[in-house]
Amino acid sequence: MDPKNALPPRARKRLIVLAAVILLLLAVNLAVPARKVRPPLTARTLKDLAELATVEYEVTKIVSHKDIAWYGDRKILFETAAEVKAGIDLNELADQDVRVEGDAVTVTLPRPRILLFNMKPGSMREIFNESGILRSDFSNQEKDALLSLGEKDIRAKVAAMDVLDRAARNARILVESWLRRSGYSAVRVEFRAAGGAA
Amino acid sequence: MKRLAALLTAAALLAAALLLYNPLAKIGLLPPLKALLRGGAAEIAETPVIVQQVKNIAQMFTQTFYDEIVYDTGVMRTPVFSQNKRLIFIAKGEVIAGFDLSELGESAIMRRGRSIVVKLPPARVLDVVINPSGFETFIEEGEISFEESKRFHEDARRIFDENARRKGILRNSAEQGRQMLEKFFRLLGFETVDIIIPASR
Repeated sequence: MDPKNALPPRARKRLIVLAAVILLLLAVNLAVPARKVRPPLTARTLKDLAELATVEYEVTKIVSHKDIAWYGDRKILFETAAEVKAGIDLNELADQDVRVEGDAVTVTLPRPRILLFNMKPGSMREIFNESGILRSDFSNQEKDALLSLGEKDIRAKVAAMDVLDRAARNARILVESWLRRSGYSAVRVEFRAAGGAA
Repeated sequence: MKRLAALLTAAALLAAALLLYNPLAKIGLLPPLKALLRGGAAEIAETPVIVQQVKNIAQMFTQTFYDEIVYDTGVMRTPVFSQNKRLIFIAKGEVIAGFDLSELGESAIMRRGRSIVVKLPPARVLDVVINPSGFETFIEEGEISFEESKRFHEDARRIFDENARRKGILRNSAEQGRQMLEKFFRLLGFETVDIIIPASR
């Protein structure tokens, strides 16, 4: 080799050291396993409930996300749906909430609340999904995270709807009908005021 | 030649930096390289929530079963030159059982003086709930489409349903329903309360 074209001794030494470092790091990379810690699973538990669901809302929402970067964009669009059930928790019904006088009865029901929120996988659709050439595709983890944000938004918006008013109205009709069918001729159903008092 | 040496040194330094980064990312001290290419925290666009349907229902929830499972699809073989696929996720959610009281007929409540007889329909699983926030991807290898992932999520719901039934959710649900209605009618002043519940299938 022409000595003029040869690498200077210092540069050669530097490259040899770097090559050794790369080999060492390569070995470390192969040796270090990816962190795969399975989170502990909680015990399966059965629990008693005493809830009366009186209204069901079916709602939909478009979940869209744009990830814009100088090296390319990613865009995704889902159509999602959720079922929301609201009603009353009969566990909160105490002795003093039922007053019977002959054939007349007055029942004070607890205030209604959202009892169930269900976003079924079968009712979700991916409508659009596109990633730039330098971008990775949306992973399932990312899609779940976006759908979770959609879930959070639906929960917040449903809470501001008239779900609880309708649940209260239906609960009153339902309990009144049971009481009449149980033989009471004068039936009064009311709701506990906010804060717990009747 | 000096330029070549500088270029080789730069390439070697870059390779060394990447090789140094990767094990640190593997043990969780740094974010994965993939995540750096993906961008920052996700945000979704502001869109309305549309009410499609409102239904009056009469469902009595008497039992819930909280469950958490690890779902492993196993290695799914794909055609040559494409990466095999595998998805492992953790699903958390609940199964709700109880009675659909809208099925109660006119003769379901019979009163005789201070005695009452109530005939309920059989207890059944009313809902299996695993919301998107209940799924946590643990390992994702290869390209898994949304439709495939949905199928696995649906299968996780089926497993929840099976586990709940195996644990006796329907039996407990019927018993809790009986106790709950008995308490309610005793509060109304009935001395004898008879709750009839057919066995669940």
